[in-house]
Amino acid sequence: MSMALLTRWSAPLVWLGLLLALAVGGEWLEPLLRWSEPEARRVLYPQADLLTLLLRHVQVVAIASGLAVVIGVGAAILVTRPGGRDFLPLVAQFASMGQTFPPVAVLALAVPVLGFGTWPIIVALLLYGLLPIVRNTLAGLEGLDPAIEEAARGMGMGGGQRLWQVELPLAAPIILAGIRTSVTVNIATAALGATVGASNLGAPIIAGIVNGNTAYILQGAVLIGLLALAVDSLFSRLLPARQ
Amino acid sequence: MPRRDPPINRVVLTLALVALVTWLSLPLGSIAPNRIVPGTAYTIAAAIGWPLALVSCLPLLGLLALAWRPGRLGYPLALGLTLLLLLALPAWLALMAVRHLDPELPQARLGIGAAWWLALFWLSLLLIELRSRLALAGWRLALLMLPVAVGWWVAAGWLEPLALWQELSGRRGAFLEAVVDHLLLVGGAVGSSLVVGAAIALAMRQNPRIERLGFALLNFLQTIPSLALFGLLLAPLAWLASRFEWLAGLGVSGIGWAPAFLALLGYSLLPMVRNTFVALSEVDPGVLEAARGMGMSRGQVFRQVRLPLALPVVLEGVRITTVQAIGLTAVAALIGAGGLGTFIFQGLGQAAMDLVLLGALPILAMALAADALLGALTRRLDHRTDLAAGAAP
Repeated sequence: MSMALLTRWSAPLVWLGLLLALAVGGEWLEPLLRWSEPEARRVLYPQADLLTLLLRHVQVVAIASGLAVVIGVGAAILVTRPGGRDFLPLVAQFASMGQTFPPVAVLALAVPVLGFGTWPIIVALLLYGLLPIVRNTLAGLEGLDPAIEEAARGMGMGGGQRLWQVELPLAAPIILAGIRTSVTVNIATAALGATVGASNLGAPIIAGIVNGNTAYILQGAVLIGLLALAVDSLFSRLLPARQ
Repeated sequence: MPRRDPPINRVVLTLALVALVTWLSLPLGSIAPNRIVPGTAYTIAAAIGWPLALVSCLPLLGLLALAWRPGRLGYPLALGLTLLLLLALPAWLALMAVRHLDPELPQARLGIGAAWWLALFWLSLLLIELRSRLALAGWRLALLMLPVAVGWWVAAGWLEPLALWQELSGRRGAFLEAVVDHLLLVGGAVGSSLVVGAAIALAMRQNPRIERLGFALLNFLQTIPSLALFGLLLAPLAWLASRFEWLAGLGVSGIGWAPAFLALLGYSLLPMVRNTFVALSEVDPGVLEAARGMGMSRGQVFRQVRLPLALPVVLEGVRITTVQAIGLTAVAALIGAGGLGTFIFQGLGQAAMDLVLLGALPILAMALAADALLGALTRRLDHRTDLAAGAAP
């Protein structure tokens, strides 16, 4: 039993382990990084340790995606209720507009209002990640068989009960798939925050571009890639296997 | 269940109410003595006085009344009022400039405030709602927007103290060059990804092993953050340019357009290949059977059946890729590729937010325009909706 559990969760565990090992034990990789940048004075990113940057990166993505889930799923639920149906086209349109706005532009426009630091990238990620969540939640709730709805009503369930016990559980796989897309895209996009002074895994990349040091860029890029793979494989374990 | 129209249009009501609140409570604009010093913010009442501020609200009050009782004439009237509000937007800024800018200070500049931007945003949402209520075709709405565009163009003459305008007038040449560079990079990357992507998709259809390998590779490419991909190409390209003189002669180097173009191409390939592949694979077998039954050759089936059916899906890929490339090209400014991102990063470096706006606003406009135009083209070519559209005059 525990063996089966282990094999089921092996992929995310491997990615997570690799990620943490690289974040904590970056020094061991010095010879490898040295190979990519033989002439540079240093090859390990000196400003902050990678684990702190990784945690900040995760924090930013978690806040932005958490807000996007609450707002996106909440809005999609509201506009599929009888009382809010008038707002459905508007919400769908707004969500797709959010993804049309390039994150760099949103980031730049947020700086005058929110100042340099972490908040502009949170706003940019929130807006960018809203569409997959809203679209999938709408698809999940609207795509339910009307007969099921009818049956639930026939059993005497009220609107709230139907939502929590029937509609949301049935739509959950589609909603989760939307959240997965949103989160994985945001993990890569969050690196942009470093251009406006957020300290996350984008910081070594920017430092590498500015100083012409490929080793710095590699450290940021590899950790972001591993984080994306780890989170993506976690999501794929949460979702039921596709037929 | 038949839907009955509620007597109140709550969408218009909510939007008009929110617009009214933000318009009156948030700053309309700010006056700064020079480029770097942050300005003093003025709400609309402080900027142009209460009487005029109330006049500026009148169309919004009209919208509220119409939302309460949208009769037969209600929606066209509401559309008219929304267009009027849009038309008037620059005028309030011009009035504010006349009242508050000291002619003794030629360096003084007018910044646009939150109330103004939000008004623009709420009015756009109102337009979307009214357009769907009136079932207005895209080109009709564009025609109706024409007077607004002309009005704004005329008003631009009064808005010389606008900070954005002052940033532009100092670097008109550089701005034009940046726009052209931006468009060239986006066009080049999207165009080549269309050709390369189609070739890859065709190869994938021939061989399932290429399919698996190709998708794995392209998916991997997408997990590399754009920022890193630009950076990682610096060293290899610099090395190549130093080894092969003809490459350096072409202008290839570690920084500049070459790494930007390659990274953009890499990012554009996944959506392009995916859509082309899906478009070619998911043609109804019955349709193909019928075409072959009519005696069409393989080539004819491809050109006359597969391609027209696939075109909307491929165009959808072009739309996604173009919008994505417009944003990514802005990031490419960090590695010296030029384009509008240059202004964003210059402005961020100098803490000159108006310069940031000069870069970010055209990028936003380009992305929205590309999305709208390519979306409209896709809908036009989509044969399923074509039938429905053909029924309406």
